[in-house]
Amino acid sequence: MASTWNRHHVLSLADFTPEEYDTVLQTAASFREVLSRRTKKVPTLQGQVVANLFFEPSTRTRSSFELAAKRLSADTLNFAASTSSLTKGETILDTAKTYLAMGTDMMVIRHREAGVPQAIADEMDRLGVRVGVLNAGDGQHEHPSQALLDLFTTCTLIDSDRPRLELLKDKKIAIVGDILHSRVARSNIWSLTASGAEVHLAAPPTLLPQLFADFTTNAPGKLFLHWQVEPALENADFVMTLRLQKERMTQHLLPSLREYHQRFGITRDRLRICQPDVKVLHPGPVNRGVEISSDLMDDPQFSLIQAQVTSGVAVRMALLYLMGSSKA
Amino acid sequence: MKSELLQQVRVIDPVSNTDKVVDVLVADGVIQALQENISDYPTDTQVRSCRGLVLGPGLVDLYSHSGEPGFEERETWRSLVASATAGGFTRLHILPDTMPAIDNLSVLTRLQQIEKAAAVKINFWAALTLGVKGQQMTELAELASESHVVGFADGRAIENLALLRRLLEYIKPINKSVALWACDSHLAGNGVMREGTQSVRFGLPGNPAIAETAALVAILEVVAAIGTPVHIMRVSTARSVELIQAAKARGLPITASTTWMHLLRDTQAIKSYNPHLRLEPPLGNTVDVQALRQGVRSGTIDAIAIDHTPYTYEEKTVAFAEAPPGAIGLELALPLLWQNLVETSEWSAVELWRSLSTYPTHCLQQRPSTISPNTAAEMILFDPQQKWAVEPQTLKSLSTNTPWLGQTLTGRVVQTWLSQEDFYS
Repeated sequence: MASTWNRHHVLSLADFTPEEYDTVLQTAASFREVLSRRTKKVPTLQGQVVANLFFEPSTRTRSSFELAAKRLSADTLNFAASTSSLTKGETILDTAKTYLAMGTDMMVIRHREAGVPQAIADEMDRLGVRVGVLNAGDGQHEHPSQALLDLFTTCTLIDSDRPRLELLKDKKIAIVGDILHSRVARSNIWSLTASGAEVHLAAPPTLLPQLFADFTTNAPGKLFLHWQVEPALENADFVMTLRLQKERMTQHLLPSLREYHQRFGITRDRLRICQPDVKVLHPGPVNRGVEISSDLMDDPQFSLIQAQVTSGVAVRMALLYLMGSSKA
Repeated sequence: MKSELLQQVRVIDPVSNTDKVVDVLVADGVIQALQENISDYPTDTQVRSCRGLVLGPGLVDLYSHSGEPGFEERETWRSLVASATAGGFTRLHILPDTMPAIDNLSVLTRLQQIEKAAAVKINFWAALTLGVKGQQMTELAELASESHVVGFADGRAIENLALLRRLLEYIKPINKSVALWACDSHLAGNGVMREGTQSVRFGLPGNPAIAETAALVAILEVVAAIGTPVHIMRVSTARSVELIQAAKARGLPITASTTWMHLLRDTQAIKSYNPHLRLEPPLGNTVDVQALRQGVRSGTIDAIAIDHTPYTYEEKTVAFAEAPPGAIGLELALPLLWQNLVETSEWSAVELWRSLSTYPTHCLQQRPSTISPNTAAEMILFDPQQKWAVEPQTLKSLSTNTPWLGQTLTGRVVQTWLSQEDFYS
């Protein structure tokens, strides 16, 4: 199953190959089957230690990774830093090395700033130890496991038994919201353009600078920028909404949440110009009534939000399993 | 009488626009002769074969930071001087953002003891404003009376244009250099790398080029109105090079410098998220680096500064965006610039050397040193082929905050001659 996998760290999707995407999707599909059994656990990572180093607070992603590791029978360690403990003299590398000394095999790392998972991965490589590092969200850079679970969620909707990258070819996918500050959007742009989908970004210009037009190079899928929401939504197969942080108003990026919702909020009304069977995704946590209207979020006809959370465990199991068995 | 004969050394002298292999005789700190073959020399002369080595004037650093006083864990005077000497710098000019800041005569008087004891010439940029806070002007005339004050600079942006105007008016009759950094902090915001495709890809907050250029336009307008000569520090964008070129063309009394790191690295390098690449101003995009290199060659940008900024391992071992900006450079600049610009034939050796020695002295109203007979020997011997590893043990600086840490460099200064002469003509 893991024959096409030799990636030791998962830090970014920028250099993911189509084979790697398919390997993750297929592996996740088999773990989804495990999760539907009465005994939802396999001994794959028995005796291994997975450390969740969450320098930035997170409940959802951390719980999802913890459950994924436990379903694979790994022992888990959780480090939840208030950033203040790191200003007492210990560096991020010291923290990582402490967990290394405890015998950690894989580190799942989240940090409020970009590049920290990579810095720790580089340090592990420099020390010559076989510890895999998985980026669980770094600043505004990337959140690979979220994009992979979004990919899994959309692909399984099209072909539940055999989710694969090519299923999204020529699909129209809108990503609406605070793209500038979103690590989820960045990882999704890499994966969705790799699939050959048409990716339409929509946000006010302050949250979607023209610089995004050159984000990808040589990807099979095309990338479009829109400063209005309607052209992005027209005939869309999937709509991905993003969380809008309230502090964007104080940074002179938006006049008000009200105006944002009026112009870019995803509502039942706006979805009428999409494909009739359009589905809506959101990485959570949702600001109800800002980026998406409250009733739409709970409507199973449109919303994939709960499916995303369920997919998350299977996809994260797949990543931990693949990294643990990597030959690289 | 102590004399040395350097045989078959490649002399690079920007003042006389020379690049040739000759014998050089030095006695008692004075260059006696430069000839193709010197056979007539005192019997006790130390003779050294210098085939493959380069002899040039001592390098002049326009501005760098000291750790002492206040941040001795980063750098002491002793380590700073050792670092400068190892890197071939014979004149240092220290920015005033120490703790306490160099903003009054009593601080300066204490520092002069250090200057006297030092092996290299150390001069100081006195602060333009108290505590380099950009609010209240220092006692400029009194500070200017001290011979070790090369001029005035905060090393930080002075964003209050009314204050800037008054400073330039007040300094006009004082006849000292003024160095200003163009940066609009509101436009720069929380940006930590130059805004562009790479900043968007790497997910790092962008600092737009207009944070520099908009502030530069404002400074140039104030200079045009007042007429006080100004040196523009740390030029980092392609557009700034154009603005400076146009300002010089219309006769504004300005000089300008970029830093050695801005000539060698661009935003692509930040893919590594190495905190030592976090600088202020940030590294430019590829077009900026090309324009800066061209600007230095054409003389629009007069000089290359080092802006040596030491930080401890603890201070720099953090996320890229959280790292304090700056990197060390005194020991690294010459070998890296030589390998990347001269060995590649992009620049001539004279072009590089003049931007590190002769033109900086012009910006500071100093007399340049030169390799010619009957002049004091303020010069360095550089081996462009010597390899060395950048490690904490090999660096004289107390700090190791450089992206080249752990790498092997080619090129090293092997000897330095210091002149005790006053270089203000």
